[in-house]
Amino acid sequence: MTILEPRKHGSAADGMVGGRLSRFEGELKITGNATYALEYPLENLAHAVLVQSTIAAGRVVSVDAAAARAAAGVLLVLTPEDELGLMTASDWFGNRSENQPFHPLPKVVRYNGESIVAVIAESREQAIEAAKLIRITYEEAPAVADMDDPKAGEGKLLDAMTVEWGDAEKALAASAVRIEAEYRTPREYHVAMEPHGLTAQWDGDQLTVWEPSQWTHGMARTYAEWFGIALDDVRIVSPFIGGGFGSKGGALAYGAVAVAAAKKLGRPVRLAVSRPQNFTSYGGRAATHQTIALGATQEGVLQAIVHRGASETSTYMDYPEQTGAATPILYKVENFSSQTRVVPVNAVTPGALRGPGKNPSAYGIESAIDELAHKLSMDPLELRLKNYADHDYQSGKPWSTRRLREALTEGSAAFGWAGRRHEPRSMRDGKALIGWGLGCGTFPVIRAPSSAMIRVLRSGRVEVVSGAIDMGQGTYTILAQTAAEALGVSIDQVDVVLGDSRLPGSAIAGGSMLAGSITGAVHKTANAAREEIVGLALNDPNSPFRDTGANTLVVSEGRISVASGDGPSMTLSDLLSAVGRDALEVTRNTLPDDAQSATDRSNAWTSMGRVQGPTMGDTSMHSWCAHFVEVRVDEDFGTVRVSRMVSAFDCGRLYNPKMVESQWRGGIIMGIGQALLEEGLVDPRNARTINNNVGDYLVPTNSDIPDIEVISVGVPDYEASALGGKGVGEVGIVGVAPAIANAVFHATGKRVRDLPITLEKLM
Amino acid sequence: MARTIHLDLDINGKTHGLDVEPRVTLLDALREHLALTGTKKGCDQGQCGACTCHVDGERVLSCLTLAAQVEGRQVTTIEGIAGDDGTLHVVQRAFLEHDAFQCGYCTPGQIMSAVACIREGHAGSDAEIREYMSGNLCRCGAYISIVAAVRDAAATLGAGQKAEAA
Amino acid sequence: MRDFSYSRASSIEEARKAALQAGAMMLAGGTTLLDLAKCGVGEPDQVIDISHIIGLDAISIDERAATIGALAKMSAVADHPAVLAAFPAVAQSLSLAASQQLRNMATIGGNLLQRTRCPYFRDPATFAACNKREPGSGCSALGGVTRNHAVLGTSEHCIATYPGDLATALVAFDAVVDLGGRSVSVEDFFLAPGDTPDRETVITPGEMIVGVSLPTSAAARNSTYLKVRDRQSYEFAAASAAVGLELEADGKTVRDVRVALGGVATKPWRAREVEQALIGKALTDETVTAAARLSMNGAVAQPASSGGNHYKIELAPRVVARALRTLGGLA
Repeated sequence: MTILEPRKHGSAADGMVGGRLSRFEGELKITGNATYALEYPLENLAHAVLVQSTIAAGRVVSVDAAAARAAAGVLLVLTPEDELGLMTASDWFGNRSENQPFHPLPKVVRYNGESIVAVIAESREQAIEAAKLIRITYEEAPAVADMDDPKAGEGKLLDAMTVEWGDAEKALAASAVRIEAEYRTPREYHVAMEPHGLTAQWDGDQLTVWEPSQWTHGMARTYAEWFGIALDDVRIVSPFIGGGFGSKGGALAYGAVAVAAAKKLGRPVRLAVSRPQNFTSYGGRAATHQTIALGATQEGVLQAIVHRGASETSTYMDYPEQTGAATPILYKVENFSSQTRVVPVNAVTPGALRGPGKNPSAYGIESAIDELAHKLSMDPLELRLKNYADHDYQSGKPWSTRRLREALTEGSAAFGWAGRRHEPRSMRDGKALIGWGLGCGTFPVIRAPSSAMIRVLRSGRVEVVSGAIDMGQGTYTILAQTAAEALGVSIDQVDVVLGDSRLPGSAIAGGSMLAGSITGAVHKTANAAREEIVGLALNDPNSPFRDTGANTLVVSEGRISVASGDGPSMTLSDLLSAVGRDALEVTRNTLPDDAQSATDRSNAWTSMGRVQGPTMGDTSMHSWCAHFVEVRVDEDFGTVRVSRMVSAFDCGRLYNPKMVESQWRGGIIMGIGQALLEEGLVDPRNARTINNNVGDYLVPTNSDIPDIEVISVGVPDYEASALGGKGVGEVGIVGVAPAIANAVFHATGKRVRDLPITLEKLM
Repeated sequence: MARTIHLDLDINGKTHGLDVEPRVTLLDALREHLALTGTKKGCDQGQCGACTCHVDGERVLSCLTLAAQVEGRQVTTIEGIAGDDGTLHVVQRAFLEHDAFQCGYCTPGQIMSAVACIREGHAGSDAEIREYMSGNLCRCGAYISIVAAVRDAAATLGAGQKAEAA
Repeated sequence: MRDFSYSRASSIEEARKAALQAGAMMLAGGTTLLDLAKCGVGEPDQVIDISHIIGLDAISIDERAATIGALAKMSAVADHPAVLAAFPAVAQSLSLAASQQLRNMATIGGNLLQRTRCPYFRDPATFAACNKREPGSGCSALGGVTRNHAVLGTSEHCIATYPGDLATALVAFDAVVDLGGRSVSVEDFFLAPGDTPDRETVITPGEMIVGVSLPTSAAARNSTYLKVRDRQSYEFAAASAAVGLELEADGKTVRDVRVALGGVATKPWRAREVEQALIGKALTDETVTAAARLSMNGAVAQPASSGGNHYKIELAPRVVARALRTLGGLA
């Protein structure tokens, strides 16, 4: 019998940065011992359930809660009539309107599925049943169901997002070859496997919230501001998050409801947002439309890009899904024009979902480039290489690193692209039409400061401590590796403590900014800790190293020694014992030296104020990828199955390739769902999302996914981050949908310009 | 008025007594009443597989099973598949080795499904593994690694069975 | 879920008697009952657990017929070697349905009684009008999002699709439902909505499905279940076909053929016009294509404005044709 060795890693190198260490917290997850937010045992817990609106717009005239209040086990019913005394909190950038009350259960309904009432009972079953007894009387108002509703209009132009250089219209008109087309994407949803929810408990004025969070410090600030308490009096606990993908970055209205209920009842309250309610308790990716016109010479040299994009937003906030985000930076082009609109509809404000902006943007430009290649009778790979951007034409800056060419060439070689016959419908296997498609993706390097603490304990353990979170990206793992390497200890000595707003602050786990930020902070902290250990060893009167005459010492594999190899050598544990210390604790952050006040630090961890975009330095910094896809399309049925994929990535240095490959594949798989399955369906009569469950909103199953080969072509980019990595989590999805759409065109000769590519579009 | 009934449930080889309303599902009984939170709630309507556990050795969805229904049957959850000394199940080890999970929320259900999939004899090829693991959604997209883990664990367990037979 | 009482029936008689009480519903696998109770569609006051009745899960098969007990699990039937040999379409219809977990729970009797996935039917809190739930209240699906709704057997009162796969295969092969005191062909067991969409089957209060019997035939032995859907697995059919074929000794002429459609009709749909058009004819690409088109006689599509379902009228005949070609060796 072969035995799979129970092991965390395969070799000593796995513990170093860049090694393939297995998931550090993995054993907790595979045994069911990882505790998620709704699983903390609390005494005297009450259960809250939301009642959501069933109309698209209007006013709550009255709520009849008598039957619910009389139902078995019901403790409290909160309605829009209840003044909860909350104040509006700051926005993402820390800006706050003064003296604005906040009503998490509003009197004015702005979308179908907005939470209006909460029922709190002794048990969840009782709360759910009592919630069915709530009767809400509305005065309905006219509503706009979606951006295709004739009442929607063309929306608002967002001037700040207009990008222009050269004279795109003129260059387009003068181009020998032109294509123009409109591309559309539907509403898409995060569908993290862990539904949203929280457990809230007050202890006097101190609030503890167990809630899945991509940003514990940011959420703590929101709760503190809503309830008018000090930031230090709020604690968000989130060591494990059952997937976020952008949906768990901020506190949401239902959170305020649960916390208010806990306050009113004087007992802890757990609120589980049901799966259907997850579809409207926060926004998914907005539906988008974009028109792209490309002009090129007969030889395929791009002359102009004209882009006009629009996305849905809510009636109460402008949230653009930036369909022009990838358009300007993928290709060399001297004439460019992009405009962006938002179209208010009666829906919850959309949010960030994996690869925000870049994702639908790449669907547009990468489909359009494929259309141009077809019109030119040119290999789409050749067209991309021919128009390779030698620098960032939007900012005018050089790239920090851009190995998209290598991604294209190495990816195509691994895929066997050279064997492609370029005319559509040229490959088949029986009833299956076979197509090969290509799509590129990109995501900016977003930088932000973070802080971390390292404790070296007399027990021999080393603790890495941060409020940063791990929702599956591998934060636990790469921080253990980073600390072990920098400090000179074995990975087996390291413990990592994350996901608590009382711990040192960090960047949000979003926009692919956390790994680069928090490894930088931990690396800095671990180096400082090592220096402090060496200083202690050299200077403490009780240290055996004091009289060695060495002016420095080495720390390796958990032992401190004289570099020459002569003289004493002992474990860090023995050193701490010798000098009579229980622990050595070091905290560092990566804020600039002139921004170290308590206010600076607090603002840095609770707002986006210190976040830097990709071109704020001397260069333009982005992750890049190229996806090569084979599809099989049933000629009679129109069903599309992805049968093979190779994706090549430039994400700089990989801190742990095993974790990175999982993230890349995860993004790609979500992209396959986006291309072929995912679509929020809105009833035009009442703007209800009617497929608000995972039986009707289809995400890929295991059977939908073929083998996917992922290749890294990146080199370390030390402008992008301290350890040379660029973001990996967002970029994987970007470019997948157009690669599939392009492969479908190659297979069938049919160009599908509205996602998802469902069978009726190909029959 | 809420009616409660007394149940003695056989879970992971131990008898657990509890008083619950008849409408309480096995999933809620495990999570809310017995502090066995390894079994996850992803949809509560039979559409995601996160709540998969075994009843009399067969994989089922605990969200669509009444706790009362399984009295007298043997229930096994993710907490019950490792050895008594904590030795991980072959499938658990394979999941760790192949990085067959990210956020970990669907993972207990995937592992319970995988153990049963292998036992049923439905792990004969990658295509068969994919199909018979399709009742467990994973939004992080660990499917390829899950297939690799099941393939590997099936080979290990198959080799073990052959060795025993010989 | 509304609070309910729970009791176990130890015999068919006990179950039938208990089920006559007001608000009583029978629980077998639970996959439909608990799902609909959670949606607020079907709210029992009393749950009669019949899953512990001994002996109702037997599967037996001889030269003449297969008999499947009502409590046999979908997975047990799907993996039964003799069923697979004598009725491949039936076994496939089961293994292509739901997921293995659900197939381990759901029983054959319960599977037949599963209810539509119409999102308007399943969301009573938002859509008050549903003639299935509340006779006379109207149909919210009409004018709504109808991509998955039926094109055959609809009425002005209901367009909800019957979602099951098994019943489609059963209706193709003349299966009979055993209701204890009486037997009804599967085809007659299900009712089209007409004026009474709330009546989905002929089963009456106090009756229960005891089993299903399936006569063997050459066409059943040479049969297939072809299911087309958006997702590769774990999804209901966009269109499906259960097809069986027996050819004369010449290997070309159709002696017997069975065709039933799933995913497109309000009840499991036997396509007799297709069968009649083929019997006695040579099976060729042309005869197959022409006959398959007849499966959509009388089909009515919903407007395309919001995800209409016209594609089903195109798709279903292609599914039928593919299955016929595969069985006839034309593919």
